[in-house]
Amino acid sequence: MSKQKLWIPLSSIVRRALRLTQRVPISSAARTQPILASFSPSNSENCGLFPSRGFDFLGSSKLSGRCSLSTQSAEKVVDAKCWNCNAEAEAAPFLVCRSCRCIQPVDQSVDYFRIFGLEKKYDIEDDNLERKYKDWQKKLHPDLVHSKSEREREYAAEQSARVIDAFRTLNKPLSRAIYILKLEGVDVDEEETISEPDLLAEIMEIREAVEEAADSQALKQLQSQMQEKLEHWSNLFAIAFRNRNFGDARKSIRRMTYYERVNEEIVKKL
Amino acid sequence: MAEPAYTVASDSETTGEEKSSSTFAEIAIGIDIGTSQCSIAVWNGSQVELLKNTRNQKLMRSYVTFKDGVPSGGVSSQLLHEHEMLSGAAIFNMKRLIGRVDTDPVVHASKSLPFLVQTLDIGVRPFIAALVNNVWRSTSPEEVLAIFLVELKAMAEVQLKRPIRNVVLTIPVSFSRFQLTRIERACAMAGLHVLRLMPEPTAVALLYAQQQQQTAHDNMGSGSEKIALIFNMGAGYCDVAVTATAGGVSQIKALAGSAVGGEDLLQNMMHHLLPDAESLFLDRGINEIKSMGLLRVATQDAIHKLSFQHSVQIDVDLGTGSKISKVVDRGEFEDVNRKVFEKCESLITQCLHDAKVQIEDVGDVILVGGCSNIPKIKNLVLNVCKRDELYKGMNPLEAAVCGAALEGAVASGLSDPFGNLDLLTIQATPLAIGIRADGNNFVPIIPRNTTMPARRELLFTTVHDNQTQALIFVYEGEGKTVEENHLLGYFKITGITPAPKGVPEINVCMDIDASNALRVFAGVLQPGSHLPAIPFMEVRMPTVDDGHGWCAEALHRAHGSSLDLVTVQKKI
Repeated sequence: MSKQKLWIPLSSIVRRALRLTQRVPISSAARTQPILASFSPSNSENCGLFPSRGFDFLGSSKLSGRCSLSTQSAEKVVDAKCWNCNAEAEAAPFLVCRSCRCIQPVDQSVDYFRIFGLEKKYDIEDDNLERKYKDWQKKLHPDLVHSKSEREREYAAEQSARVIDAFRTLNKPLSRAIYILKLEGVDVDEEETISEPDLLAEIMEIREAVEEAADSQALKQLQSQMQEKLEHWSNLFAIAFRNRNFGDARKSIRRMTYYERVNEEIVKKL
Repeated sequence: MAEPAYTVASDSETTGEEKSSSTFAEIAIGIDIGTSQCSIAVWNGSQVELLKNTRNQKLMRSYVTFKDGVPSGGVSSQLLHEHEMLSGAAIFNMKRLIGRVDTDPVVHASKSLPFLVQTLDIGVRPFIAALVNNVWRSTSPEEVLAIFLVELKAMAEVQLKRPIRNVVLTIPVSFSRFQLTRIERACAMAGLHVLRLMPEPTAVALLYAQQQQQTAHDNMGSGSEKIALIFNMGAGYCDVAVTATAGGVSQIKALAGSAVGGEDLLQNMMHHLLPDAESLFLDRGINEIKSMGLLRVATQDAIHKLSFQHSVQIDVDLGTGSKISKVVDRGEFEDVNRKVFEKCESLITQCLHDAKVQIEDVGDVILVGGCSNIPKIKNLVLNVCKRDELYKGMNPLEAAVCGAALEGAVASGLSDPFGNLDLLTIQATPLAIGIRADGNNFVPIIPRNTTMPARRELLFTTVHDNQTQALIFVYEGEGKTVEENHLLGYFKITGITPAPKGVPEINVCMDIDASNALRVFAGVLQPGSHLPAIPFMEVRMPTVDDGHGWCAEALHRAHGSSLDLVTVQKKI
């Protein structure tokens, strides 16, 4: 098998570790705090080993308690109050106070779909995602709060980073699929060894084709093939997810992950 | 001798620690320091206004003349004649020299400038000097830039009737982080605080975002997303950006840049006119410098004329017995500079590819910078972009400084009742940042064109059995091997539990925050768990100073490959 430079992000391991910690009942949360504190679990890009922006490494225990990714009900947020002017939160998601325009601390219970006011489903039909993303950045971006208090600048850095992650995650079918499953408490092990014989055989075949592709024409053809396969499995995922058939959903993700990797390889060669 | 006109601040002032603690009561001004020309602009409460010097110029030549030890810059001093700038006493093209070592080809190309650029070709900063009273007086690009900035600052303070401290400066896309620290250092020497260093085409993108928003307001529409390609070529650098704009927000999709510019066109032409120039001017006596100056002025003049006419007659007496009398046409000029133009084309292609944007999806093509008048540049941009016309509505020489002034106002927390400052640039990293691993390879951790702020990480492992230490070399650039990239710094991690090679897990994480500060974290994971085994390291970069090429070599000599790392392979 040819050597490839594809790496494991620690975040995927962190996620696995988290699955364990999430089973810990809330009452014992205090005991697990030091561990939890070192992993901000929600975020696949903002990994946990190192302190997140603006937080003191050891003092970040303020994260715990509401760091669970589970499907907390949305309505809870309405109790929230602005830390600055004490005004009641008018609308969810409560990222910015309407009355004083102050940026609020990150609330991990607000999932990525709700950030963009989307229904929690896989096949989002929203061409406006990028627009909404930019609208948020216009309210949250750290560049815009230079003259504000250090506290608000910290919130801006975190909120804006989270919105970037949310956008990136939802914008691509594969990452969206993995994320939505995670919200259901189903973790996808991206490093899992493939055991399905038919997929293994297909992998070998495609791999050979990519390696032997003579020119960019051939590569582009392979690329559109991968695109088709991705769409096909994306549709299958949507069906499986709707039927809450998580086994099939994971199978689709495995396929999509693989075709996506081939795509990356092709782009590198192009 | 008079006291130097600048105050030398300590290096700590440039580290950015202080950025958060300063107050932002004043409106930051925008400065575009070009290789050849420079301008300064400020938000005046309703729009951006370019400041003029006492000679009513909005664009000032970027140079500093040393006379009797008292330096004076292009902002205030009146040159009696263009040739005076070429007497050896004037230093210019600072932007091409700053933060570069004497092995850099750009520094070598600068040796044809009519002052002293001496290289020893060992990877240290070049020796730069101006001729004062027949003595070569040494200086540095930072010092020259600082003197120039002091004059700009003084000029702005007189006109705005307030002290100036905060500035937004435009910089080339291809500048390394080390070069950025040198710019910050020059600003600190001039008593200026850098609020933001903005890649030039992203400043143009911000101006474009504002113009688009105004158009949308006028049409009462919501203003859908528009993609623009910005091509900016000045005397020293060529930059390209692809930006997606909607509602006053400009998201930088991709950046590409290189140190090619009008200076290269000029040098290639000079070489074409006088092929043995190098050997003729080797001595650098007063006469040689004068000849070089004369040739430079004549060639520059010819290139300008070729933008409007098809051929030009060049007559120049170099004084040393050699005369040049030649007719040059546009085709010849384009032929001599074919490589430069090819590089420009490849930058556009690369930027579009990185942005994952098809040329058909680009709404506007914007051409700015000092080279935008050159017909060949115009044609190649239109050609590659498959367009018949370029975006109108921007002054190509003022777009960058206007964008910088807008950013200055936005970053200072100003708002405008008409929404003219309802703007934001979402920046992307112009260069990849990574570490040395897998032998001598550069392994990017934050790839180029990643949205900022950004945080990424990768896992590495040891190459030797029972290896307990590893060296982390942090590089910035695009090259496959580390030698092709800029070294930003290095540090050692210890405490790896002895184990067969490939078993220990070392996590390297890079973080670029909102103020573009880079922090590198590295830690060893406990075997079987995912917690740090020992306290991890956090290092602010860049940490290396001049002569950084040496450090890597010296470390390699001392340690060989004993402290190397490899990337962890992903299973398929």
